[in-house]
Amino acid sequence: MIDVVRAGLQDLVMDLGRPGFRAQGVPECGAADRSALIWANRLVGNADNASGLELLLRGPTLRFPLGGRVALAGADMGARINGVGVERGREQAVPAGGLLELRQASAGLRGYLAVAGGIDAMPVMGSCATFLAGGFGGWKGRALKAGDRLPLGRPGRGRKGRLSCAACASALRVLPGPQLAGFSDAALKALTASEYRVSADANRQGLRLSGARLDYTGGQTGSQAVLPGAIQVPPDGQPIVLGWDGPVTGGYPVIAAIVAADLPHLGQLGPGDGLRLSFVSLDEARNAWRRLQQNLDEAILWED
Amino acid sequence: MVSRETPPLRWMTDRGLCVVAGAGSLDLYRLLAGMCLPGVMEVVPADGSLLVVLEPGAAVPEKLLELLARGVPDGPPPSGAAPARLHRLPVRFDGEDLLEVAGRSGHTPEEVIGLLCSIELRVGFLGFQPGFAYLWGLPAELHLPRRASPRKRVPAGSLALAGGYCGVYPSAGPGGWHVLGSTRACLFDPEARPPALLQPGDSVRLDAA
Repeated sequence: MIDVVRAGLQDLVMDLGRPGFRAQGVPECGAADRSALIWANRLVGNADNASGLELLLRGPTLRFPLGGRVALAGADMGARINGVGVERGREQAVPAGGLLELRQASAGLRGYLAVAGGIDAMPVMGSCATFLAGGFGGWKGRALKAGDRLPLGRPGRGRKGRLSCAACASALRVLPGPQLAGFSDAALKALTASEYRVSADANRQGLRLSGARLDYTGGQTGSQAVLPGAIQVPPDGQPIVLGWDGPVTGGYPVIAAIVAADLPHLGQLGPGDGLRLSFVSLDEARNAWRRLQQNLDEAILWED
Repeated sequence: MVSRETPPLRWMTDRGLCVVAGAGSLDLYRLLAGMCLPGVMEVVPADGSLLVVLEPGAAVPEKLLELLARGVPDGPPPSGAAPARLHRLPVRFDGEDLLEVAGRSGHTPEEVIGLLCSIELRVGFLGFQPGFAYLWGLPAELHLPRRASPRKRVPAGSLALAGGYCGVYPSAGPGGWHVLGSTRACLFDPEARPPALLQPGDSVRLDAA
């Protein structure tokens, strides 16, 4: 088990999400940086989809009354176990009664903590991912609080390995969106030629960007089903990138959409961060997805 | 720069295929949702269109392309599709905006209530909140734009309308629609299968309580 001694800014129990319920109005949710959660899980011998913690910007302090094995990936949160700094991207043992302290994130926005056995949360609609806006899933549908005690599952056998850490990327690839043709030439040029900045209005539902204004001259669009990574443009011309907790339908035109392979990078971008977009073809997007799967396998250097 | 030519298939990222099907969207949704095509993760209906969400990295299944080219066959939906249901929702017409809506539609509040209770609404699609159903079928005089400034908090169970739709908020939250009343019906239960009470294609009748 894990006792939350001090909660971080927003500590959420997450797995790889609950696909299949969009027609019910329920977004997929799940780890914003899915690669990082998968790596952390693999390092402690868990299945890719085991529940871990997604830690935003400032991590918590956790006690392990019975000890455990943990691994951290994603943003660097300056982890210490019983006061001693530990490396992320490898399995670390926490002795019985040990304290894991996490602090301010650097090199990214979200840190991921996997614990051997996974967090034994109650699945809701087939997933343990927290859906904050809906108030369900994860740990009681909310972020962790001091005093919470999280049960753990039965640990599997870990392999000794080291994550050759993937760097954060701020250059993201996009495909043309369904309403692309309704945007002016100037807008299409601006979207990829200029830098956009993540505004303060950014969370798991979406990131409002600020930068060159994108003018839409196409017709009215009815509500359409959207996906994480879709770049919606409201009438003020400042784009919104949808996240994993974003709405399943939306009425704003979609100029472009970030390819599935680059969504983990999006999960590491926070207020003030810059990003650049470039168009790719559908084939390139599919190849990027294949390369991501390969990279998931190759990024961990196993030592046995 | 990217071409502005409209490609034959329109994509929402590399895993969502957008299908514009107009009035036939709901039938196509029910057909596809009942088929469980390999490579298709889910099908999501919307307003005059639907989205076929594919497994990431997967090519578009040939069978799907054939089906889209052929259109929706006449006749009963496939056996996999859930039958459409008729729901009766008891509503207390005590909403803050009832008077304003009546005024703008040229009716008395009683007439608006009578009108709403005399029609059959149809669930077009869900979105906005888990279990929030966009209901079609309002008479033209009740097609009003959203409120100029959305409310910060609309209580759960609020019956509201805007943009030609009617809907019930399953949980409390911000909302820009005109609130006409409230129902105690449970619109969304994460433990239920399916979790939303109102499914695309279902019909709804309102009863003044």
